[in-house]
Order: sequence, then C-alpha cells, then structure tokens
Amino acid sequence: MHEIIYDVFARKNRGGKLCHIGYVDALDDEMARVYAWKTYDEENWFEMCVVKRKEIIPVNRDDGPFAKARSES
Amino acid sequence: MSDDTLKISDMGDAERQALTRLILTLADSKRIMGIRYSDWVLGAPSVETGIAASSMTQDEWGHARLLYAMLKECGLDPKVVEHERAAEEYASVDVLDEPFSDWAAVVAGMVLVDGAMSVALGAFAEGRCEAARARVPKMIAEEDFHASLANAWYRRLSQSGGDALARLRDATNSMLPPVIAWLGMDDDVARTLVEKGITASGEQQVATFRDRVRELLASADVDVDSAIPAVDMDPARGRGPGHPDVDSVERARGDRNRSLLVE
Repeated sequence: MHEIIYDVFARKNRGGKLCHIGYVDALDDEMARVYAWKTYDEENWFEMCVVKRKEIIPVNRDDGPFAKARSES
Repeated sequence: MSDDTLKISDMGDAERQALTRLILTLADSKRIMGIRYSDWVLGAPSVETGIAASSMTQDEWGHARLLYAMLKECGLDPKVVEHERAAEEYASVDVLDEPFSDWAAVVAGMVLVDGAMSVALGAFAEGRCEAARARVPKMIAEEDFHASLANAWYRRLSQSGGDALARLRDATNSMLPPVIAWLGMDDDVARTLVEKGITASGEQQVATFRDRVRELLASADVDVDSAIPAVDMDPARGRGPGHPDVDSVERARGDRNRSLLVE
C-alpha cells in the first residue's frame, strides 16, 4: 500500500488566515481527513483542509518539497 | 423527534431501571473500546494511525465519563460504578471481552462495534430522555471521524485481497452475531424504553445498522443481511454471557495507581 503526502491547512477564525500547519502521510483522501483532524487538534480550528502535495503548483521555486513532489508525480 | 422530553427524575422505577441498563452497557462498551484502541497507539500501521487511535481512546473515555455521570440521576454513584465493580458486572458488548488480535480485527471492530454504538446513541439522542438529548449529540459528532477512519481502512483492506481480506472477513463474521444481538435486544427491559419513547426498538436499530454497513461489508464479501444474531443473552446486563478480561477491567477501574489519587 502506497502512502501519499497531504499538506494540512487551517484557519482559527472565519476570515482568518489560512495557514500551512503541517502534513500527514495517508493511503487516501478519507484517511488524510481523519489523520489531519486528529493530529493537529491543538486548536479549535474553524476550518481545516488537506491537499495532496503533488497537486500544489510551485510558483517561484523549482526546489523544495512542493517542486519535488510535483516532479515525482 | 418527539417534543415531550422526559427528565430521568420523572421516570418510574421500571423505566429508570431499564435506562440504567442501557446507559451502563453503552458506558462500559465505550470504556473498554477505549482500552482496545489504546492498545494500538503504538503498533498501528502508521504513526498517523496511532495518533488517531490515541485520539479515539480519549473520545471513548470522555463519552464513557459523560454516560456514567448520567447514572447519578438514576440513583447510582458514578464513582462506585466506575471504580468498584467486578469484571463480571461489566455490561460491555461481548466482542470487546478480549483484545483485538490484529489490525484487521481492530478495523472490523471500528466498523461494527463503534458503528453499532453510534446507532444506539443516535436512537437514544432522538428519544424523549432530556439528558440524552443534551449530552449525546456531541458524542455522535465525534464518532463521525471514527466512522470515516473505519470505513477507509475497511475498504483498503478489502481491496488489497489476500491475507488482509481473509483476516478482515473472518473478524467481521465472528463479530456480527454478538453485535447484532446486543443492538437488537428485545426483552421486557428493552421494550420498556421503547414504549416510553426513550429509544428505538432493537429491530429498528438493527435495520439502521444493516443499512449503514451493508455496502461496506459487501466489499469483503460479507452479507450483513444473512448474519444471525447470537441467542445467548444475559438480561441483567443487556449483553451476552462472559465478561471482559480481568486485566482490562483493572485498567478501566484504574486499580494499580488509584491509591495515589490525592483529593
């Protein structure tokens, strides 16, 4: 079974900044949802979402984790 | 949902005794389920899964604590119930009597035991009991994440085939009869609650449960509609015969270090 990297984004309040708060390894989207919610539960988040790292399009850098994930997909 | 809520203090003796059995079997099941989840905080298939198991452990113990607290209104001392009962008095669903043997059994337990508890809690929350309406919906909301994880893992193991599928199917088939019997209790005590509108009938709850898991279990070639409930039930506790292993009950009661609790 192949795990996928998902980046986790969350905001504390309605209208607050959506911040990158970490990542999880998961087998699919559903597991990623649960892992993110259960792992990053230090705040009472207003909103949280996960994105497959390989789906993030780098804008100004061709190195780093996002470019690497994109090139490997 | 009915509008005419019912306070526990306004219930008659028969209703209160029946309610006590319902709350105890739900609370004990959650407490022992928490212990079973805690066994997999270290040793789950991934770090993230272990963290989820840790979180679910906390959820189950929190739910158990809230349910035990409701027993005070039924005339019982929750501290005595939580810390002084023998294993033979525990009313947790039979499937939880022994630790899960492997991850496939944990996944089957998440789907079936946690799933059945959610159905029972849902019926309780939608009934007339005021305390249940106030306290149970938050538990059900937290259980949504348990169900998501359970369903995702169940599909994953069933799709992988081979040994994983065989283990998952075996665990599912062995758990279904006692789980359905527990959820579908239909004796005089259970009917007392149904007649007062405090919860749904066992038949209705089992039907809801079958609807929820039918498609998922079919992915492992398990037909939930052909599962036959276990017949040997203990009416005093609302579960089958037997009891959780003594070590788990000692952990549930907190025996080992309770003397260090300084109040």
